[in-house]
Amino acid sequence: MSEIREVPPAETKDEPAEVVGQTGVQGMLRRRLTETTTWTFLILLGIVVGFAALRFEQFATVFNFRNIAADASGLLILAVGMTFVIITAGIDLSVGSVLVFSGVIAGKVMLALGGEGWGAIGAGLVAGLAAGLAWGVVNGVLVTKARVPPLIVTLGTLGMALGSALLITGGIDVRGIPLQLTTTVGIGQLAGVPYVVLIAAVVTAAGAILLSMTRFGRYTYAIGSNAEAARRAGINVDRHLIKVYALSGLLAGLAGMVSLARFATTTIGGHSTDNLAAIAAVVLGGTSLFGGIGTVLGTVVGVFIPAVLQNGFVILGVQPFWQQVAVGAVLIVAVYIDQLKRRAQERGERR
Amino acid sequence: MSEPLLEARGIVKSFGGVRALRGADFAVHPGEVAALVGDNGAGKSTLVKILSGTLAPDGGEIWFEGRQVTIPNPVVARELGIETVYQDLALAPELDPAANLFLGRELVRPGPLGRLGFLDKAAMRRQTNKAFADLGIGLQDSGAMVANLSGGQRQSVAVSRAATWASKVVFMDEPTAALGVVQSARVRDLIRRVRDSGIAVVLISHNMPEVMELADRIEVLRLGIRVTRIRAADTTMEQVIAAMTGALGNEEVA
Amino acid sequence: MRSRWLVGLLTLMLALAACGGDDEGGGAGGGSGAKQYKLTLIQGVKGDQFYVTMQCGAQAAAKAAGATLDVTAPDEFDASLQTPVVNAVVAKKPDAILVAPTDTQAMIPPLTQAKAAGIKLVFVDTTTENGAELAESEIASDNEEGGREAARTLAKLTGGKGSVLVINVKPGISTTDARAKGFEEEIKKTPGLKYIGQEYSNDKVEIAASKATAALAAHSDLVGIFGTNLFSAEGAATGLRSAGASKKVKIVGFDAGPKQVEDLEQGIVQALIAQKPADIGKAGVEQAIAALKGEPVQKKIGTGFVVVTKDNMNNPDVQPFLYKSSC
Repeated sequence: MSEIREVPPAETKDEPAEVVGQTGVQGMLRRRLTETTTWTFLILLGIVVGFAALRFEQFATVFNFRNIAADASGLLILAVGMTFVIITAGIDLSVGSVLVFSGVIAGKVMLALGGEGWGAIGAGLVAGLAAGLAWGVVNGVLVTKARVPPLIVTLGTLGMALGSALLITGGIDVRGIPLQLTTTVGIGQLAGVPYVVLIAAVVTAAGAILLSMTRFGRYTYAIGSNAEAARRAGINVDRHLIKVYALSGLLAGLAGMVSLARFATTTIGGHSTDNLAAIAAVVLGGTSLFGGIGTVLGTVVGVFIPAVLQNGFVILGVQPFWQQVAVGAVLIVAVYIDQLKRRAQERGERR
Repeated sequence: MSEPLLEARGIVKSFGGVRALRGADFAVHPGEVAALVGDNGAGKSTLVKILSGTLAPDGGEIWFEGRQVTIPNPVVARELGIETVYQDLALAPELDPAANLFLGRELVRPGPLGRLGFLDKAAMRRQTNKAFADLGIGLQDSGAMVANLSGGQRQSVAVSRAATWASKVVFMDEPTAALGVVQSARVRDLIRRVRDSGIAVVLISHNMPEVMELADRIEVLRLGIRVTRIRAADTTMEQVIAAMTGALGNEEVA
Repeated sequence: MRSRWLVGLLTLMLALAACGGDDEGGGAGGGSGAKQYKLTLIQGVKGDQFYVTMQCGAQAAAKAAGATLDVTAPDEFDASLQTPVVNAVVAKKPDAILVAPTDTQAMIPPLTQAKAAGIKLVFVDTTTENGAELAESEIASDNEEGGREAARTLAKLTGGKGSVLVINVKPGISTTDARAKGFEEEIKKTPGLKYIGQEYSNDKVEIAASKATAALAAHSDLVGIFGTNLFSAEGAATGLRSAGASKKVKIVGFDAGPKQVEDLEQGIVQALIAQKPADIGKAGVEQAIAALKGEPVQKKIGTGFVVVTKDNMNNPDVQPFLYKSSC
């Protein structure tokens, strides 16, 4: 080995030995504690405790929490898909429209098959999921092959999916969905937990595992962090991105089915802000819009912050318009704090 | 002179109206450091990208271990045993060193979980730590994001990634360009260790003292073609610079 | 640390919300030993003057009865948005809820939950398919009659010749469906008028406008439009105005919001069938309290209409029935 000339370091930052904080486990612990997810979880906890303190018997009941969870289940399913997309430094504005479109397709199929029975429901489910998947693939192909920015592509499919849904239905919500779907899945419960919450929970768990433990998840992070590096490492970036957008579309389709089950109708007019709500949830949860960073667990927290805020405000009797102001404010504050933290972390670890 | 391990013959490449390479040649032998030098715009990075599979040449031949080959993408280059440390490092900043080392070559869990794509993060981390130790890199917190490492540490990660996977040739494009004195010395040590392990190293550098110190042979590129190839021991820095700028004529020295 | 700032900020926000909130309409009045009932009104959608006027009537009645009245509403007239609101209100455990269900079927589950929690329900304006069982009382205008009245008015205005269009909201809303039905039946009595069917606005002004202009393009003999609710009528007027057809096509609207009254003044709309939402709100509160006190309840109440035209809009007996933007 050649001699290392011990020149007094002109730039101390070039020393590999002692820098970068603490060793292994300690470092990991410090990272966990300073992660954004931890702080947003504390914010959520703070909000819950706050409302409970103000209106205990009304807010802090199993009944209320069950309803909050059930009401948030559709958005959570959407947000899980959105997490993957945003981690690749992309975005999907079309989720609300795809949700509606999938519900319309599913509803029409169920009606065409007689409007009754689990066979019709099953066929409708398959049709709805396929519709969502198809829109997702369209998004993915346009983003990768046509090289149109995701913001523009998904803005376009937002319009096309919703427009198609309106064309198919003439602007009228599809009605006459098999009652069994609503009474069992839509409002039914298993051991006190609503089915829709269980579905959202399964999707969330699967998404979390996929993202954090598999090659698919690793590729998602890598592409968001440095797509060119991923390409040079031999990863088929285009194919992976198509899969990610397809996943988002598929989950939007599933959310459409869940909505259909809950409301027995397609609720075309009620999903125009779902896309922004999903994006806000993902960002609140600590995912960076620039890609490469984020978790599904964070997204769960991000979904529940606006949901709990809305619920608590109604209970408190706050004017409805204040809710939107509050959610917007929390979003800005949470992201701002995340930025401050990141910069501090970078400075600290460099030294 | 032994048979070249990797050889480029008459490579031509244009970008729009600009002719970056006009029939460039290059050769590197096993167990040596071959420096590829030239002034700005001589075509060094382009040649490296072609030999590492990132770019496709417009004309010319590539020979590897005595056979003619084509290298249409980085995966084929890797399969041949060629690895590259790009000038921009090609690291994913938000991933940790182990993830970067195994980028595109992730280890999966044994058995059915592995078929589903479940990663064996513990194994990757273990092997990364070993690779770093073998190459003398001290990275205490291997779970940190690469973005939070210093420039030298990042360079080390990129170099050790190439060194770990390369079985035949490693290209290093300006490996110490952004580093301070101490870190540059460590990377140069690394390069020598890689060479000593039997792998051919192609060093592209502006840093003439570094070239003279590290290289066994020097190949000079000027305006898209090779103008000189010479053993480092047989020449001086001034002569090399003169060849780069065109003060000397074409010379082929065995 | 910064996180403490954030938690402090949030606590402050919640404290302000707790103090500054509670849209209370009722005071502490009433008799000495009388129980103060807690009522909540869930409107169909925010910002609709029909519901605001209803709120005014309800708040006045609540105050007179010594009860408190909270008011809340979803962002859009849609069951998927009204459901979380209903759920949160039920958690609040008021004594009774006055609600305008946004869908005859989809709102049944959450409202059933409300009833199961022991809360008395009164349906104001709209209702559900099983409204008679679910609610103590259903209070609405006789919408079929309103539709018929609209048909009669439009027949007079158009001179009885040409095509007429209905711009409805969306199917599944009890009130507007009834209006369209009544209109359709009555318009047959004028043979010279051809009924070209219904278009849906989804309760959006922009969609109503585009449907109006599209119908104009498709039917050159279009002489009249009936807009079955506030946004539908307003949108139709806007569409006709931008197409320059305000003189040619007569509009009869339902509901008399300030914008429509203005349209009426300017001659863009020719007649408005005004409901009496304040009466609905008042009756809703009265029936809710009666139910809570165990007194006899009227299962169905039909409130009346006023036909408002440019000529009579300033009459003292018509003025009070114009809708308000705030109480």
